[in-house]
Amino acid sequence: MYHLQNAMQAAKTSVRIEKEETMRLNLIRRLVGAVALGTLTIASPALAEKVLRVAMTVADVPLTSGQPSQGNEGMRFLGPTVYDGLVLWDLSSADKAASLVPGLAESWAVDENDKTKWIFKLRRGVKFHDGSEFNADAVTWNFDKLMKRDAPQFDQAQSVQASQLYGSIASWRKIDDYTVEIATKAPDSVLPYNLTGLFFSSPKRWEEVGRDWNKFAAQPSGTGPWKVDKFVPRERVELVRNTNYWNQKRLPKSDRLVLLPMPDANTRVAALLANQVDWIEAPPPDAVPRLKQSGMNVVANVYPHVWPYQISLMDDSPFKDLRIRKAANLAIDRDGLVKLLGGLALPAKGMLDPGHPWFGKPSFDIKYDPEGARKLLAEAGYSEKNPVKVRIVIAPSGSGQMLPLPMSEYIKENFRDVGIDLEFVVMDWEALRARRRAGAWAPENKGIHGVNNSWGLWDPDIALIKPSASFEPVPTGFNWGQFNDAKVDELARAAKTTFDPAQRDKILAELHARIVDQAMWIWVVHDLGPRALSPKVKGFVPAQSWYQDLTPVEVQ
Amino acid sequence: MPNLALDDLRAPPTGLRPRSRSFWQTVGRRLARDPVTLTCAAVLLLILLAAIFAPLIAPHDPYRTSMARRLLAVGDHRHWLGTDELGRDLLSRLIYGGRMSLFMGFMPVVLATIIGGTLGVIAGYAGGALNMAIMRLFDIFYAFPSVLLAVAISGVLGAGLVNSLVSLTLVFIPPVARVAESVTTQIRNQDYVEAARATGAASWRIVTGHVLSNVTGPILIYASSLISVSIVIASGLSFLGLGVVPPEPEWGLMLNTLRQAIYIAPLNAILPGVMIFITSMCSNLISDGLRGAMDVKV
Repeated sequence: MYHLQNAMQAAKTSVRIEKEETMRLNLIRRLVGAVALGTLTIASPALAEKVLRVAMTVADVPLTSGQPSQGNEGMRFLGPTVYDGLVLWDLSSADKAASLVPGLAESWAVDENDKTKWIFKLRRGVKFHDGSEFNADAVTWNFDKLMKRDAPQFDQAQSVQASQLYGSIASWRKIDDYTVEIATKAPDSVLPYNLTGLFFSSPKRWEEVGRDWNKFAAQPSGTGPWKVDKFVPRERVELVRNTNYWNQKRLPKSDRLVLLPMPDANTRVAALLANQVDWIEAPPPDAVPRLKQSGMNVVANVYPHVWPYQISLMDDSPFKDLRIRKAANLAIDRDGLVKLLGGLALPAKGMLDPGHPWFGKPSFDIKYDPEGARKLLAEAGYSEKNPVKVRIVIAPSGSGQMLPLPMSEYIKENFRDVGIDLEFVVMDWEALRARRRAGAWAPENKGIHGVNNSWGLWDPDIALIKPSASFEPVPTGFNWGQFNDAKVDELARAAKTTFDPAQRDKILAELHARIVDQAMWIWVVHDLGPRALSPKVKGFVPAQSWYQDLTPVEVQ
Repeated sequence: MPNLALDDLRAPPTGLRPRSRSFWQTVGRRLARDPVTLTCAAVLLLILLAAIFAPLIAPHDPYRTSMARRLLAVGDHRHWLGTDELGRDLLSRLIYGGRMSLFMGFMPVVLATIIGGTLGVIAGYAGGALNMAIMRLFDIFYAFPSVLLAVAISGVLGAGLVNSLVSLTLVFIPPVARVAESVTTQIRNQDYVEAARATGAASWRIVTGHVLSNVTGPILIYASSLISVSIVIASGLSFLGLGVVPPEPEWGLMLNTLRQAIYIAPLNAILPGVMIFITSMCSNLISDGLRGAMDVKV
């Protein structure tokens, strides 16, 4: 136990204050009654270094050894912070959808004659945090780590986390110290997007810690702008600035970044109000007025996310009828939902928001039109008195699910008004995900016509191609409900094999328009990814991306 | 209901009926002098009646949403207890919610008392290998904390009313059976049971005539103390999304969705919790009162 008096003495003792604070935070997280905490204010000790403390929504510290666990939020906070991909997201703008920029690879190109072969030219002079050099050997070593089961450094834990990203990669080889060739199983223009999520751990550090990934996780070494300084499992991970970062423009402004898992939304709010943290992810909408009243900045921006019902188009599903799919899309009062969500959402008009380059020009305008919905249902033979019965799986919580229960309850009322009788099958989030991976045709999904699984849409595969193409069924693809449309298949194939980004964007826009016109899903709202920041936090640019750059952020 | 153990201490028997009434009369007289138990019983009865006649007394449709009216404060002139996050009348939802919450409080306990009591009496009376088999099986259940067990069973079976009913019943059977078994084992060795056996009475007759009458009291007292636990666990299951399916009003589920609003409408948010508290508190105090009243040694 340390005392505050000691802490006032010298810079050296700031570490002790940190520990004191750790204990307090520990206590906080154990107190479920976060209400009382709202009034508790614990003085933040004066720190010599600039510290940014972030409360994440995850329940545990994500895996630190390279490929983070805990889903996409784990990726956000322990992916491009400690590590780099060959390709990076450009997160410097709040005004346009994030695009790709060179990362550990300075440039890349697909072979003109064989579209399955890609050449990546690596950046020179990049060093891991342990001082060893990043080169072609490190790339092949890390690919072996994920995909070569008999390699000594193969790590099952990391491999599982990255499996969605390396699915299309067939082989890889070093050409020279700074050139790598990656071959895909079939022509795949989306590969550079997938490479933003494959991270490179230091082979040297792995040798130093006795070839043990668990030990590596305690003292990881990557090439990213932050270095792991302290890792307390289940409690926190502390990162410090990597002064030797290859991109000096992205040198972190803060000296230290403290990442804390805090799954309960009200606890996060209480922690921010009590000055225990400077930044919280996903404050509950109804806490926003209280946060603003305390001078907190609630930052939100559109990012590629949609909250939908993914529906089944199989023979036993009412949604096989396009009129019913369209009616369901027209029946939802999205403005009402946005109100429920405290304005931190955008009514959906399709998979993507209309400002996105892949939105295209769909002719089916998704809006609140109960009259139109009733008319379509009447054509299909249903009415308020004789409603069409549909059953959808929902979960009470989950990553990106916003406020799943009240939102679904509201939609149920909207549906009732036009003649759709929506029944819920409630299950735990992981169970719902398992149902999603199993496909509508799985025996356990018999009689189920949809799943409420929110969707992140950061690359062409996950956003458009895999959910829609008939040749991409789950679990390798994302087509859950046997959506089958010849034109969609044709466009999906064309997108995969078009390597000119501008041309591909045009095809994707056409694909999106077609999906909307076919009412493939029931699209409800886009999350605005709210986060609440203490007024002392400066320099944050909310990028239109799942990822966010913490390097320009500092606490003043 | 006859109670021979008690009656042995009294005047020579003249007939079964008058004597049996005297025991319950004693209990009744003691309860009538216990204001806490009486108050709690009145409150519980009120909640129960409200729940039963919900359609008659609820001022609004508990399912009707309205974004314009969301989270109205407690004391609103049309919605006395305010509205929830979807603008539904809270008073109506609390009244309707009582149906599910009370049902989930009583039903598992009733089922568990019947099943667990029977198994316990069988185990206690039969003794030997059968006792061993039944009680050791229940010991396995005992190894898990009740809440964890209920969550685990509900998690496996999936959400829904029937499944939570099954899981809660399974959770309560072992403790009820244990109480029944231990009392039965004591009774079995009493002289009057020996005497009955010696006169050639069949096991069935001994159990119904001598054992059950003595076991019922302790089991009832124990079971009544489980009601509050059942309400709380059932609400907990719904809170976790493993119980009642939305938009069905149920206190635990309401607490879950309303807690998001704790910063702007704290009163509305705690109301379902208050109902859970009052109901479980009352049934607990009634259980205490019953124990006092039925304890023949007092």
